[in-house]
Amino acid sequence: MKKTILALTLVLALLLAGCGGAPAATPAPSATPAPSAAPSEAPAGNAAETAPEADEATAAASPRAAANEISIGIAQDFDSLDPDYMTAAGTKEVLFNVFEGLVKPNSDGDIVPAVASEVVKSEDGLNYMFTLRDGVKFHNGDPVEMEDVLYSVERRWKGEDTAAQLAALSVIDSLSADGNVLTITLSEPSNEFLAAVMNAYILPADYDKQETSPVGTGPYRFVSRTVQDSLVLERFPDYWGTPGRLDKVTFKILESADGLVLGLQSGALDLVAHLSSDQTVQLDQDEFNIAEGSMNLVQALYLNNAEKPFDDVRVRQALCWAVDKQAVIDLAFDGYGIPLGTSMFPSFSKYYDESLTDYYTPDPEKAKALLAEAGYPDGFEMTITVPSNYTPHVNTATVLVELLREVGVKATVQPVDWGTWLEEVYSNRKFQSTVTGLTSDNLTARKLLERFGTEVSNNFTNYSNEEYDEILAKALRTADDAEQTELYRQLERNLTENAANVYLQDMADLVAVRKGLDGLTFYPLYVLDVSTLGWTA
Amino acid sequence: MKKRRMNPYLTAGLVITGLMLAVILVGIFWTPYSPTDMKYGRFQPPSAAHLFGTDNFGRDIFSRVLKGSGTTLAIALSTVSIGAVVGTLVGAVTGYFGGWVDEALMRLNDALTAFPSFLLALLIVSLVGPGKKYSVILALGLVFIPSFARVMRAEFASLRGRNFVTEARLMGAGNARILFVHLLPNTVRTLLPAFTIGFNNAVLAEASMSFLGIGVTPPDASLGYMLSEAQSMLKAGPWYALSTGLTIVLLVFGVGLIGEGLQAQDREVA
Amino acid sequence: MTAALRYILRRVFLLLVTMLLVSLLTYLAFELVSGDPARTMLGTEATEEQVQALRHEMRLDRPFTERYFRWLGGFFSGDLGISYSYRQPVWGLISGKLELTLLLSLISFVLITVISIPLGVFSYRFTGTFAGWPRTVLNQLCMALPPFFTGILVSWGFGIVLKVFTPGDFPGLRNDFSGSLRHLFFGAVCLSIPRIAMTVRMMRATVISEMNKAYVRTAISRGNDRAAVLTRHVLKNSLVSVVTFLGQTLAELVGAGIVVEQVLGIPGLGRFLVTSISHRDYPVVSAIVVILAFWVVLAGTAADLISQGIDPRLRLSTGRRRIGGAA
Repeated sequence: MKKTILALTLVLALLLAGCGGAPAATPAPSATPAPSAAPSEAPAGNAAETAPEADEATAAASPRAAANEISIGIAQDFDSLDPDYMTAAGTKEVLFNVFEGLVKPNSDGDIVPAVASEVVKSEDGLNYMFTLRDGVKFHNGDPVEMEDVLYSVERRWKGEDTAAQLAALSVIDSLSADGNVLTITLSEPSNEFLAAVMNAYILPADYDKQETSPVGTGPYRFVSRTVQDSLVLERFPDYWGTPGRLDKVTFKILESADGLVLGLQSGALDLVAHLSSDQTVQLDQDEFNIAEGSMNLVQALYLNNAEKPFDDVRVRQALCWAVDKQAVIDLAFDGYGIPLGTSMFPSFSKYYDESLTDYYTPDPEKAKALLAEAGYPDGFEMTITVPSNYTPHVNTATVLVELLREVGVKATVQPVDWGTWLEEVYSNRKFQSTVTGLTSDNLTARKLLERFGTEVSNNFTNYSNEEYDEILAKALRTADDAEQTELYRQLERNLTENAANVYLQDMADLVAVRKGLDGLTFYPLYVLDVSTLGWTA
Repeated sequence: MKKRRMNPYLTAGLVITGLMLAVILVGIFWTPYSPTDMKYGRFQPPSAAHLFGTDNFGRDIFSRVLKGSGTTLAIALSTVSIGAVVGTLVGAVTGYFGGWVDEALMRLNDALTAFPSFLLALLIVSLVGPGKKYSVILALGLVFIPSFARVMRAEFASLRGRNFVTEARLMGAGNARILFVHLLPNTVRTLLPAFTIGFNNAVLAEASMSFLGIGVTPPDASLGYMLSEAQSMLKAGPWYALSTGLTIVLLVFGVGLIGEGLQAQDREVA
Repeated sequence: MTAALRYILRRVFLLLVTMLLVSLLTYLAFELVSGDPARTMLGTEATEEQVQALRHEMRLDRPFTERYFRWLGGFFSGDLGISYSYRQPVWGLISGKLELTLLLSLISFVLITVISIPLGVFSYRFTGTFAGWPRTVLNQLCMALPPFFTGILVSWGFGIVLKVFTPGDFPGLRNDFSGSLRHLFFGAVCLSIPRIAMTVRMMRATVISEMNKAYVRTAISRGNDRAAVLTRHVLKNSLVSVVTFLGQTLAELVGAGIVVEQVLGIPGLGRFLVTSISHRDYPVVSAIVVILAFWVVLAGTAADLISQGIDPRLRLSTGRRRIGGAA
């Protein structure tokens, strides 16, 4: 037990935007690809054909087009590259191209076979049979054997290394291998099991250099890494599936505020995701296309429900009536973003209840009346604590101050550094209100709702509602998908009606793509798939 | 002895600083627009209606600079006062008494000087609690103590051996009396210019801390915080960075001239 | 043992004491700053057990003194520890950044020395004449230019408009040496401007006060050439204060460089320190703090020793006149 517990590799980890320290956005781009320009080909999911030869005339756009490589700018450094220890969302986002599980997500949000070629679920939902795909190779050239698969799944399930364990795999009862079929038996049926097993990356058994030279089975393999500078990947020629189009992909770390924009302008970069509208307006329209996806997160003014005056439902409702979500999106995000009314975003279309978005329409008079009823006819003072390194949240808070002023609430923005925020706000719950984005880093909606149960350890808003707890317990118990969906929707409504928090929006994910580059694919997860990217002829 | 004439630098410095102070004072009670209203259009270039243009939220930058200068000024003044008062005390004790107290405090002083000041400030902010409005002032104030202590220590040490001190002691004055009645007034010559230099460094230090964005940020926007915001909007609105940056420069420049003038006058008298 | 040797030994001893104090302060800071490294690493979803287990692994649950002395022992045996977030040895992470920071400081230092010393002597010539005031005004104006503001102007002017370099995209010494030097040079210019002004001003004041001394007046009244007196005696005697001042400037440059590194995107120690603090990556933070502090104290000590060499009459306590230091 000498390694440890870096647990954020946990499958069901529901991260907060900004996780990992630097202004890392945690959340995920959406399933609604909306490439704003890209006149040429449809960019979508399966970029099947191999890259067309770069034409000299168009290749002039980037010196890298001729070499069939690109340079992607990212705003924060990677942490550990060992899949057991990587916790930063930005690291997982990129190493999605290097590691695969038995199954993996596709851009539609479905779970599809990967290292396993076929998955069969038994009638009772207790047994899953994974047939290993023939001819899958690791990046070091070794074939993937059952031994490796057992090793990889087992350590995530109950390995002696606590860090590697995935809480969601605790439903596993036993593993058994028969030829090339791995059977996983569960102790109880689970709707989230496949999504969990997706994050149990298949790694070579007993290979201990993942930290310095990671080895997986994905379409791209690791070449080199320079801390605080860059990470280089190259196409893995022996990939079992559709090979990547580009020969080489360099991720360049540019942490300074305008570094990414300047890098694009100067030609040093070809693609940057997660830009703000302030950044994209600085780019030349002739050189770049701006694709708009969504971050798949729930940005809200999160209120400490245990703290005065937010322990009064009328005060929380008053804030909801007071805040014009569209004004926040217009003022702080230049109009990009999808308004939300509860703790769920549109990518989870099955669960998402759009009618809740307009449950509270901006109505200052109603807000004032409610405040007066709650005993605050002249409003009150409040503090919005925000992580200072995450500009979108700081900007949102700044706009909220203005909107709240109209109903007599005097709010102050208090920027704190990320470490302090995590400790004081998230962990110790010593705050009045905060702006952040909550997300789910796998394909299940559970964590977006589970965290508002009274006794749940990450319920940092201290939301406590008996009815909610009952529905939640029922929802988590049931194995019937339709019933669970209905219960989830009830939970969403409960959060809205009781104004647990002031829900704002699912933030837009703006991606600048150099003209001539196509194949950008948005996932309902926080990943950047480089295998579909390529230069147009 | 010739009549004491006002040094031209001092005059110029007082005029510039006075004008800025006047504008800042007005800014406390009145600004052309509300500095927080977000309804004037994003990134409007400077015009007659909006002298410094508008920012990314569509706020009037001129009004914000007025308010922000007030915040910066208040923080810098309080900061440097903390540094001067505590630094003088430490300097007096160490410079006057010497010995092991001197040695110990000066080593601590050296260590604090060598310690990255923003880490020190972050530490204080954590201790006081990030929610407190004055944590930033305390944090920056602490950063300024060591340098004042060093200057004042040298001053007290050099005055210690002077005749008037020996005389005072012979007349039965106690240490406290000698320190505060006899020595302190004589240090004003050093303290005053030091205060102006310290003020300038405080303005710049506050700005750098806000700039680094590690949580040592005042709740009300200061010039430094605004400048750090402006950095990411250089292309969309270069006037934002220019107007806030130049205001900082002007503020520091004015006070710098006063310091220059004070020292020049000092030389003329000497 | 000669007096000079004893003096040097004493200085070295004091240096060590200061270093120890700095490292102790750093560890105290970790105790007191809110934010738990284990929790910061694990992010928002870790369970309490996982955080505790990691704290145990990172020895954060050990007493403060034990951790400090363990670190100190490691430090003296050349082991700076393992970074929490990168899980790699700290020295390997910071060595490349150390050279950038040192290079930035050295380029600035050379600029300051080469420009301000002649300028300082030259500007003495204008004392009291009509030409004096533009010099003073210009001098004060330069002193009022904060490096981060000039940094912004430079990245806008030379970066965005003229495209001489790409702020934020540092080429790296190994990849493109001249490009890297150009990038560093812009940073050094921003850092140097106010300090050149300070040094010129300081030199001028020193030369003036030296020229007013009795021996100089006597020498000149005896018919010696003014310029000859200036170069032969005055400059030599001013040198002590200049060396002390420059030593202190060299010390300050490293700290001041943090902001410039941030603005121009130079991946030096300063920027790494800022990120590591917000990650609560304490092994990295303590290593950088101690290295920076060593630099500061060393520069001060070196300046004192050189002054001592120039003028052995000097006592330990030369008052230094400089108030505060930005970041």
